Formats: sequence, structure tokens, C-alpha cells
Amino acid sequence: MNACAEGQGWKRSGNMQILRQTNMEALEKARTLGPDGVLELLEKKGLEGRGGAAFSTARKWRASRDAPADERFVVCNADEGEPGTFKDKFIIRHNAETVVEGLLIAAYVVGAKRCFIYLCGEYDYLRPRLQQQADDMLARTKMEDVTIEIVRGAGAYVCGEATALLQSIQGFRGTPMQKPPHPTSCGLWGKPTVINNVETLTCAAQAVLFDDWNPALRLFSLSGNIKNPGVYEFPLGVKMSTVIDVAQPKKKLKAMSFGCFGGIMPVDENMAITPEAICVEKCHHGAYSIIFMDETVNVVDISYSIAKFYTYESCGKCTPCREGTIRILNLLKKILNGKGVKKDLQVLAELALHIQETALCGLGQTCGNHVLTSLQHFPADYDHYLKKGAKS
Amino acid sequence: MNILHEAQEKHGYLSEHILKQIAIDQDIPIARLYGVVKFYTMFHTEPQGKYVIEFCGSPSCVLADGTALEKFLEGELGVKIGGTTKDGMFSLYKTSCIGCCDEAPAMLVNGEPHTKLTVERLTALLKKLKEAHADKKVKKK
Amino acid sequence: MKITLNGKEMEADGDKSLLDICRENGINVPTLCYHASLFPEARCRVCLVEMDGKLVTSCSTKPREGASIITNNEHVMKARKLNMELMLPEPACKREDDMEVCGIYEEVGMRTARFASIKEYKPDLGAAVIRDNNKCINCGRCVRVCADIQGVYAIDFASRAHNEHVTPYFEKNLADVACIRCGQCILNCPVGAISERSHIDEVVAALDDKEKHVVVQVAPSIRAALGELFGMPAGTLVTGKTVAALRKCGFDKVFDVDLGADITIMEEASELLNRISNGGKLPMITTCCPGWILMMEFFYHDLISNMSTCRSPHEMLGMLIKTYYAKKAGIDPKKIVVVSIMPCTAKKFESTRPELETGVDYVLTTRELGRLVKMRKVDFASLPDEEFDPALGISTGAGVIFGATGGVMEAALRTAHFLATGKELEKLEVNEIRGMKGIKEGKMMLGGKEVRFACAHGGANARRLMEQKDKYHFIEIMACPGGCIGGGGQPIYRDPEVLRKRTEAIYSADRASKLRRSHENPVVKQIYKEMLGAPLSEKAEELLHTHYVKRDRF
Repeated sequence: MNACAEGQGWKRSGNMQILRQTNMEALEKARTLGPDGVLELLEKKGLEGRGGAAFSTARKWRASRDAPADERFVVCNADEGEPGTFKDKFIIRHNAETVVEGLLIAAYVVGAKRCFIYLCGEYDYLRPRLQQQADDMLARTKMEDVTIEIVRGAGAYVCGEATALLQSIQGFRGTPMQKPPHPTSCGLWGKPTVINNVETLTCAAQAVLFDDWNPALRLFSLSGNIKNPGVYEFPLGVKMSTVIDVAQPKKKLKAMSFGCFGGIMPVDENMAITPEAICVEKCHHGAYSIIFMDETVNVVDISYSIAKFYTYESCGKCTPCREGTIRILNLLKKILNGKGVKKDLQVLAELALHIQETALCGLGQTCGNHVLTSLQHFPADYDHYLKKGAKS
Repeated sequence: MNILHEAQEKHGYLSEHILKQIAIDQDIPIARLYGVVKFYTMFHTEPQGKYVIEFCGSPSCVLADGTALEKFLEGELGVKIGGTTKDGMFSLYKTSCIGCCDEAPAMLVNGEPHTKLTVERLTALLKKLKEAHADKKVKKK
Repeated sequence: MKITLNGKEMEADGDKSLLDICRENGINVPTLCYHASLFPEARCRVCLVEMDGKLVTSCSTKPREGASIITNNEHVMKARKLNMELMLPEPACKREDDMEVCGIYEEVGMRTARFASIKEYKPDLGAAVIRDNNKCINCGRCVRVCADIQGVYAIDFASRAHNEHVTPYFEKNLADVACIRCGQCILNCPVGAISERSHIDEVVAALDDKEKHVVVQVAPSIRAALGELFGMPAGTLVTGKTVAALRKCGFDKVFDVDLGADITIMEEASELLNRISNGGKLPMITTCCPGWILMMEFFYHDLISNMSTCRSPHEMLGMLIKTYYAKKAGIDPKKIVVVSIMPCTAKKFESTRPELETGVDYVLTTRELGRLVKMRKVDFASLPDEEFDPALGISTGAGVIFGATGGVMEAALRTAHFLATGKELEKLEVNEIRGMKGIKEGKMMLGGKEVRFACAHGGANARRLMEQKDKYHFIEIMACPGGCIGGGGQPIYRDPEVLRKRTEAIYSADRASKLRRSHENPVVKQIYKEMLGAPLSEKAEELLHTHYVKRDRF
């Protein structure tokens, strides 16, 4: 089990699979295999998206390649914005070359000439080096007419959503669009577009080149009330106790949140971390960012900061999310101020479920998870604040 | 997006005049351009301080006692979140996750990350920034 | 494909949206942000239906093979209701007009709202169009109509999340930006957050002022649409009732803008022939549409010399009321108040133009007239038909067709042909330029020369036609889709059929007219004989012509 901590000074560990460099050899191998060969190989290796949706990468590339069009695009989604997630930053800092190579392989397979990297505004200090890597690699490659443009985000979490990202690249407000049509058939300027996460593209290059590439390994971003926060590489199915050992909690752990969107659940040392196990607790693993909370934390306080996050980041397009997120925040504020009553919890749950069911995009569909899961798993934390009110 | 970033870097903020120019150059309706600018929190249509501070308010930073540091910063600078100090030195904003969760609490100053913040580190940083600016002024003279 | 709709198995077209399929099967699904001519954005989330247990927006979702679609169970109804509660915390059905959203409150059974409103916006007040973002439900129709159908793009969404609101750039008022005041945004707003600046109070004050002689003139489009405000089907011609209602409201004289239109034709047809034979600037472009004039002044500075110098019909008649009629009736023009009933919000702005100030005093939209009539407790439907006051009330079929897109052009050609050749047109109807097609064209021999003409309606179509303008000698532009019968001041409609019905009413009025050519109008002949002399004379230039300005886009 390879694990590496990202501590002070950004030390690398040569053991991490994600840091293996491909040095243009993956692109060469891709060329010899041909587009179909690459697709077959990636399908065999079982490469899935690492942005949170876990969609088959080969299927996505194939869909764009097969969609009838005179032009196609590939985009690297480097708009890492989910709170508690910093694995893509880690990869860009330490293995940017392989990311770019993965992007070029995607372009080759799909038949795209223009490539984009959408880099969130919060990571703009990484841009000069990333630009350099991209320019260098393009100079070394023999792919004609291929360009890589870095598009700079400007502080909108919702632009991590694929269709919103494409809107932003095209110079519009970053509002998600309904699917269908899917970007793979109708994306940038109406043309088939592949959008992949930074980690996915890195793995794509590695999966093509390395026979021993292990699809089960994932990057975990660990943060919160722990002594060793950082980016770790674990295989799926790793036991919670192993992760906790590495993370070194400061006090007894109480709860964990998968970013803001995945939901809050109790920490079970015996749980094997798999999508299925997480789903049982009504949570979603996403990109495996875990924010740990210990026994000194009242989960409602964290729920409040998550609710605040959503009231900033909702794009405002659809009624349930635009209006529902601020109403949830106001209710939580009321509860935290000791003025909440039992009925407020019902309304909270009703709003959260409603937004989940009727919102237009993934942001809205998941922004209620923290409410629903915290109500389900930590009712005592809410009662604490309700009782406060009752006294006064 | 890049055009707007570059214009903001060059002029300090996206004034009405600058946006009109971009609207003409890019052949975009000004209403649409304004709508785009206002969507993204990192674009500003008002003059900003010399140093734009974006303090992270997401859960990992909150868990690292970020809220208290935020209040401290407001007190030190004498300005609330969203405001600019009277001397035009600092603009203070609250931002969503900046990806420094393992070095929380964290903030960006003019796009550069400052992490593992404490009252001491913040005080020292603010002092350093004020002095650096004063030096620049002296050098200019 | 096979689907099950509310329990009934049926065949459905897999390319149609669930909304269309439901409507075709007589199942009502409420919508707010949906627009028949625009790609569905699925913003409001009110048109929800259940497909295989999952809630989807019917406007933007196509059926899956074998899906079971339910539109009326508790799951669906509760979801629709909660979205309504969230978007409009306080029921806003206080406005007199029938707003789309009021019907939907009933449908979803909304009685009280559980959530307080959090909006605090300053209203945008202007001379013609006013907006109140506090009532807005962010449906986006106004934005897309202004951008895509009108080609103006004066407003867009700004800010994010619950702060998202519709605004001109830099939060300016509409009055301070390149807005053509066409009012299409008003027509498309389902909650009345945008409406016309009302002048009812000023008009009522004038009516109540015993010193004032208040004269009202009625545009052609009113008679084809006013009935809709009183429960009559679209396309009912209510000319006689309109005149009667206005008299009951207290107006001293009721005149017909169609007469003004006839005079416009005399001037404009003469102007066209003058330009053609003397090498004047071509194509000549009509100017009875103040929305189009604003569009030219903001976006097409180089077309200033192409524009006809003719004022619009009601402004021409307004001037004649204060000169010709005042003299004839022996009334001091300073005591005359001229009110125009118009299907148009841009005319409210037009009447404030400095060069036109002395003409029309107030403009009321068709909707405002409806409110005035109701205020005065007049039972519109039971009124007997009355005639316009003859002093300035005789008109021709050519005047009435001004209300339809292509109508100005057709009326002008009927007279231009006579002026150029001395002979009447054999066929009065110029069918090539009738109808709802965005851009229509035709050609005609006028005095030995082939004259090519084109008409466009809707701002975006106008822009497209401007790219081709040099192919033509004569162009008619109407800023509103359908022409004036679809104007920003008309009764609110959703079904495009309504426009067709109103147009048909206009053309039937033309067919029923005794006189169908402007140059046959006896009052027009008299006015020229007694006062103006001939078209384009010095007196005519002074009273009936105008000039334009260049306005900054921003």
C-alpha cells in the first residue's frame, strides 16, 4: 500500500503511481496503437474519470470521436474547487508533463486540434510553469496544428461543472446547461468536446504506457482536524482505520465530509472505503476528498459553512438552487442563533430534498446532501442548538 | 476570460471605460460583458487596494479556526469583508476553497497563497507588505 | 416510440419535448420561462413532470422509449408548488392586467408563501419602460427576447446565486442605455416586473380639467386587439366600441390615427418618388416606428440620411390637431391636450423628443386604455358602435393596414403607383409583403422604373435586412414582431396565433373600407387644399417632417 504525505516543503515520494513520468513515450505508444488501440487498452484497464463522476474515459473519448463533426476539442478540467480537494494541484505541481501528455493523447484519439486547460483562478500562480510545460511539450511533439490554450478561471466553483466550464471558455457566464445534449456530441461552439479531470488525463497517459498501471489506486485529499493532512494514494477498498492511522487525528474522530457535496457521515474504523459502502450512508465519494471532524466540532457549524459555500457558488439560473440555498442558510443561521424550532428541521429537509430532485445541474443536485446526511446521522448536534433556544 | 484578466491586471480593475473598450474590440454587447464580469468573484468593477486579500471560508479552513483569524484580520485592517482600507492598501474578501486545505487556514494575497496562518504570521505579513509598499514609494521619489 | 402518459399507453414522437406531447394530448403543464420561439433554458423548474419516477422539466426533456410519464401526482404537484413558493414569495397578483403567473398560482394551489422575500432592488424608472427587480423571477425571457428576437441586447443577468438579477450594464437605468423602448420585454414578462410608465393619472387630470379640450386619437392596432382585454376572442374588430368607450371616458373629440397615416402616405410616397427621380439617398427607410428610429440612432448612424423625414402618423395628426383643427374649431391650441392611444411603448419616448414636443401630449398604451375604461366603470362589451368625429376621423383602408407588418409599405405603394403613373393599382393587396415571415420582399413598376422593396419586423430581422439593404429602393421596418399589432403596449399574448388573428382583423377592416387609397381621403385633400398646399411643401416640412440624432451606443 503506497502512501505519501504532502507535508511542508512539498516533498515528493517516488513511490506514488500518480507521480510516474511518461516522458513523451505514452504519446508515442498511443500513435503506434492507433486511436482504436488506445481506446481498447483504456477500456481493458478500466480507466474511470477522477473528477467525481467516475465515467468510463474510453467511452467518453469514443463518443466524441464517433460524433459527426468537422472539428473537435479536448479540455482539461483543472478547475479544482471542491472544498477539501487539492489533489489536482499536487499533480500540476509535481507531474504537469504527464497531464499535458494525457491531454495530447486525448486529442490524438479524438481527433482534436485545439486543446484547452481551464485552470481555476485560485491556482493562477501555477499557470506560468504549466504554460511552460505545455509549450515545451508541443515543441517536442510531432502533432501538427495542435495548440494548447490555458483559459483562466475567475473564482466560480460552478465552472468545474462540464457544461458551465464550456460556457466560460466561450466567454459567457458560467451557467450549466441542461443535458442532453452532452458535451461529447455538442460542446464548445456546438462541436464534440471531451472534458477530463487533471488526474484522469495523468492516469490515461500512465495507463497507456505502463503495463503494471493499477486502476484501483486513487488520490485522497485528507484535511480537517488531523495532524497529517495531505494528498495520499490508497487503493479502493482501503480500510478506514488505515487512513486514520496515516492522517493522525488530533482527538477522537466524529464525522467526515466528502468535500462539501458528498455528505457528512460518521467515521467507522472498520469500513472499507468503496463507492458502495459510502453510498449506504447516503453519501457520495466524489474525488475522495475527506474533511475530518473530531468530537469538539458540532456538525451543524460545519453544515453552516457548507451552506454558505453554496449560497456563494450557486450560479443562480434555476429556481430551486438559487432560492433554496439562501433559504437553507437562513434557516441554519436561525438554528445556530438559538431561535430554531423542530419544524425548521422539517423545512430544512424538505428544501434539501427538493433542490436535489429539481435542480438543473450537479451543484444543485448535491448541495442538499450535507443537510440530509447531517440530519440523519447527527440529530443530537441539531438538538443541541434547538435546546439552547428553548432555554432562552 | 483571459482578456478580462489581462485588462484587470493592467488597469487594476475593470472600469466602465475599460469594459466599453473591450466590448468594442470584441464586438460583444456591453450588457452581456457586464453580466460576465459580475458573475466571477475575481473580477472587480471598482478600484481595489494594492493588495487584494482573499481569505478562505471553506470547511477545512473553518475547522482550523479560520473564522477567528478572519475576525482578527478585519480588526487589524479596520475594514469588513468586501471592503477596501481607507489608505487604499488592502481589499479584503472571503473566498471559497483555494486548495490549501492541508495547510489551513489559508488565504491568497494578489493571487499568491499564504498558508498555515496564525495571528503572528498574519501580523508579520501585513507589516512586511506595508513596509514593502512604503519602500516602493520612497524609491519612486 | 411507446410511452405511458398518465396511465394511458400511446405512441409518441421521440423528437418532441414532453411539454409538447402533453399539450398535444390536452394535458396542461404550467410554464413560466418557456418561450415558443426560443430554445428552452429550463430555468423556472415549474413545468416539472415525473418520468419513470424522476422529476424532469418537460420543456427540455424528450421521452425515453417505454417511459412512464405522470403529470399530476402529489410528487409533481408538491415540487411545482415549492418552486413557485421559492421564486415569488409574495403573490404579486395585484396588477390589473391578467398576468400569466396568477393562473399558475391557482393551478399549483398556492395560497400562502412560507418564505419571505429577500430582494431589495431599486426600481428602474423611465419615460417609457419601467422595471422592478423585486418582482422578478429570473425567468430570463426579457433578456433573450431583447437579445435574440429584438437584436438589441440592452439587458442581461448579472451577479450570481440569489443576487442574480436582470440589469443594463453597470446597473444603469434603461433610459440611460441603448434600449429602443420597444416593450417586447414587457409583453414577455410573466409577472409584470416590467411594465410601461403609466400616464393614466396625467390623462385623467386633463380630462377632469374643465379648461382643457382633450382630444384622443386611436391607432389602427387598437381596434384589432382592445376587445381581448374585455374577454373577446383575439381578432375581434372593435372600432365602434372603442370610439364609444373613449367618449364615455370623457374625451371631447375622438379622432382616427388612420387619417394621420393617410397623410403620412401622401408625404412619404411623394418623398420616395422624389428621391428615385432626383438621385436622392436610397434605400429610403420608413420612420413611423420610433423603436426602429432609436435602433438606427444607436446602432446605424450611417443610415441617418436613408431615413424618411416623415413624422409618424400620430405625431403628424397631433400637429394638425393643434393647427388645422384648432383653427377650424376656434379653440386656443394651448388649451388642447392631445392623447394618443398606441400599441406602442416607444411612442411614449417619441412624444418626449424635443423636436416633437408640441405635438402629442400623452401616449397611452392599449393596456392603459383598458385600465382607464375599467376605472370609469364602462361596460365595454355592451357599448353600441359609434363613429369617429368627422373633423379628423375619416380614413381609408390604406391607413388601417399600418398596424400590420408590410402595411405601411403596401399603403405607400398604392399611392406611389398613382402619383407616378396617374393610374390606380389593379390589385390593391401586395401579398408578397403580407404575413409573418421575418423579411419579405417584392418589386413593382412605378413610372417605368422597377422599384424593389422589402419589409422586416422584429429587431433581429431588421438587423439582417440592413446587411442586404442596398438591394432595395424602399424598406419598411417594424421593431415589434408582427408589426404594431404585436407592439409592446398591446394586450399580453402567448400564442403566436393571436398575432395572425389581429392581422386578419386589420386586413378585413381594409377590405370593408369604402375608401382604400390614402390619396382618396376627402379630409386629406381638404387639409392640403386649405393649409399644406402640396406634399413636401414648406408648410408640410414645418409641421409634418422631422430630423434624427446620433446617440452613443454607450
